[in-house]
Amino acid sequence: MAACEPNRARLLCMLSLTFGFFVVEVVVSRWTASLAMLSDSFHMLSDVIALVVALVAVRFAARTTATDKNTFGWIRAEVMGALVNAVFLTALCFTVVLEAVERFTEPHEIEFPRVVVVVGALGLAVNLLGLCMFRGHAHGGGGHGHSHGGGGKKGKKTTTGNKTTKSGNNAAEETNNLVPGTERRERTGSSHGECVDVQLNGSASYDDPEHDHSHDSASQLNMRGVFLHVLGDALGSVIVVINATIFTFMWQPCEPGVPCINPCINSHCTDHRHINRTLVELQDGDHGNHSDLQDMQTPLARAGPCWVLYLDPTLCVIMVCILLYTTYPLLKESALILLQTVPKQIDMHSLNSRLRELEGVLAVHELHIWQLAGSRIIATAHIKCHDPATYMDVAKRIKAFFHDEGIHATTIQPEFVTVNSESRASLCELSCRTQCAPKFCCGSADGPKPAEIAGAAGQKAIAAAASTTAMLEVINESLENAVRDQEIKGQGAPKAEEDVIVAREVESSL
Amino acid sequence: MLPLSIKDDEYKPAKFNLLFKLSGWFRSILADKTSRNLFFFLCLNLSFAFVELLYGIWSNSLGLISDSFHMFFDCTALLAGLAASVISRWRSNDSFSYGYVRAEVLAGFVNGLFLIFTAFFIFSEGVERALEPPDVHHERLLPVSIAGLLVNLVGIFVFQHGGHGHSHDGEGHGHSHSLFNGSIGHDHSHGGHGHSHTAKHGHGHDHGHGHGHGGHGHSHGEPDCHDDHSHTPGKGASKQILQGVFLHIVADTLGSIGVIISAFLMQKYDLMIADPICSMLIALLIGVSVVPLLRESIGILMQRTPPTLDHALPDCYQRVQQLQGVYNLQEPHFWTLCTDVYIGTLKLLVAPDADSRWILSQTHNIFTQVGVRQLYVQIDVAAM
Repeated sequence: MAACEPNRARLLCMLSLTFGFFVVEVVVSRWTASLAMLSDSFHMLSDVIALVVALVAVRFAARTTATDKNTFGWIRAEVMGALVNAVFLTALCFTVVLEAVERFTEPHEIEFPRVVVVVGALGLAVNLLGLCMFRGHAHGGGGHGHSHGGGGKKGKKTTTGNKTTKSGNNAAEETNNLVPGTERRERTGSSHGECVDVQLNGSASYDDPEHDHSHDSASQLNMRGVFLHVLGDALGSVIVVINATIFTFMWQPCEPGVPCINPCINSHCTDHRHINRTLVELQDGDHGNHSDLQDMQTPLARAGPCWVLYLDPTLCVIMVCILLYTTYPLLKESALILLQTVPKQIDMHSLNSRLRELEGVLAVHELHIWQLAGSRIIATAHIKCHDPATYMDVAKRIKAFFHDEGIHATTIQPEFVTVNSESRASLCELSCRTQCAPKFCCGSADGPKPAEIAGAAGQKAIAAAASTTAMLEVINESLENAVRDQEIKGQGAPKAEEDVIVAREVESSL
Repeated sequence: MLPLSIKDDEYKPAKFNLLFKLSGWFRSILADKTSRNLFFFLCLNLSFAFVELLYGIWSNSLGLISDSFHMFFDCTALLAGLAASVISRWRSNDSFSYGYVRAEVLAGFVNGLFLIFTAFFIFSEGVERALEPPDVHHERLLPVSIAGLLVNLVGIFVFQHGGHGHSHDGEGHGHSHSLFNGSIGHDHSHGGHGHSHTAKHGHGHDHGHGHGHGGHGHSHGEPDCHDDHSHTPGKGASKQILQGVFLHIVADTLGSIGVIISAFLMQKYDLMIADPICSMLIALLIGVSVVPLLRESIGILMQRTPPTLDHALPDCYQRVQQLQGVYNLQEPHFWTLCTDVYIGTLKLLVAPDADSRWILSQTHNIFTQVGVRQLYVQIDVAAM
């Protein structure tokens, strides 16, 4: 697919670069027999994995057509990719903190500082290149949000000219499809200019979902994850370079031929208190008791300033703080999407009240709005109306209302007021059973404790239904309303269910 | 004269009382059996970690210190599970129209990711140590490892009761179980943590402890809630978290056993290579065991059609389309909100003279029988 090809190309390019560098680092570490290099190379490997995750997410998300199992397509893959990257980064931070603490308690010197400087600089170059590549993604188009007709709340768009045509288009057709099959092929030039591929509105049934607006803003999240990962790695490289440079210039190592001690490192072979005292005495000319140090006349050399060894862990801790600070928003955002939150830009309360004010709408129940990915927002609701005849007009109005809000995938279930239940317009006719009661979805009093609801509500609902005194023709209504009745609880479940089924069969035969 | 009151506390807005909130959470935790167990196990783990840390500092053993940090890291996983079990019980509000029930799925997913990351980390350390085997000091390792094993066994016992013993019908579940009996190892057997990269010395330390995590094992497709006789209602949600915790603990137990075995091998037969190989094997095992957990939570988070309904749904579609007046059924979307809670939307194209209300109720019936209780049916009247 042509869309977001630049995304994929960048990811692939960065991936190959990073992987190549990883191999280089492994080879160097074997050559210099430096474990530090090896562990750094594993950090690079984690970077590679992050890129792979992002790439997989992008590839999956390109398949936005509905399948049998995934009726929404794979659009959410990018949000998942972002979450995976954020979690991965957090875990990596923990690891780094761990290692830093270990280095605090037991500092050790770098063995080949010059090699480390060179390799570190190379790594930094690679990471900086990656940063440049993904920078546009992460910050440029950061605020896509939704913009159809309602005015873009986040205004980072460069081309907004197509918006009006889009909203006009939406109002004309019933663009209910979540997964763009036929209608939603219009596409503004995206703000970050990469996936620019403006589709003409006239092409009917042209399935090109990648060009969808929401896809870009979802991929924003994914690319942000990658960006943060690369940023983390870049910071790591910076630390490596700084540390190695300072080490080269400031550290006075122990030369192999000259006897010297290293006061910074606590060796487990000797009690450090003992040896310090002994060696100090030696240095001052006294005779020590150690046989191998007995005939030492020259003053002992000391290895270089100890604080140099503590620089590395300190910088690491600082880096971790920076990383965590920048990762947290990404983590929060992708987690909120996955938790089926109402998108930030939508005010449920006002939406609800405005919906009620629409002509023909008596009541609104069970309004749920959630974000599939990016700007794909989905809404479902029960709307109570007068009668089926006028329903289609009301439906059109409701759909137009939602379109104005930027919600294009709506499912509205009509509930019709029956003659004898006009007074109970506020009650739900066909309500959900399990989750509803604790959420008082139809606005009634407190339901039973949420914790007990999930399993038991099913029983209770069916049980309660059978014992109401509603009329036969509104048996549907009463079944559901009974859930609200507090006093009807704990009836025998199986018997009630059979009654209900029988009752329903009777109804259907009428 | 107007009454003047100096103390009108009742008119002041409620202050944000942290203590009050905390006590509220505490009560919420203790209310439910699952979260109670999780909380106590978390406390046990934390105390063990603290003890290890203090002992490590006192005896200046880097291995023990780093191992205790590993334990803290895993305690966060357990904490995530606890948080999820509390959060998922909160009521819904304006921002969360479905409530917070998805938190447990998310927690399971995140914990699965953490486990994979841990496996990767252990694997890399095993590779490092295989390339440069440091000396391993096991004198301090064994007691710690045995203590950790005991803690894990406590955890297994505790979560065994809550974890199993339920009927799960429906296809494609219970993968975690088969893997439990199989081979799950989880070990951070950094015998010789190798952080002294100059390989001057190594330390053996053990990571034998229980790190539970609030993941979720699998969902049960129970079309009607009457089946819940083996556990209290509402436990469906926490069941998943418990499964995940159990998986974690068993993995860790086997890891401790692995450490003990490798220590034994090293001491008796001087097989230094046993340690890294053990680590790598165990890392692989962890990775493999986590896959079902991840697959399931990814399915739920990706809004996939619930696996339990895969076979039942086409039948339902057929039945709906056979209703009188229904021309066509379009755009069915079914997805899982959390365990056992399925939500569906569909659109029906009906004849102008059809009885919409009857069609609606019948459709709801049909889908309620397969377990979808939240259904939104949009009726589009076909133009004549």
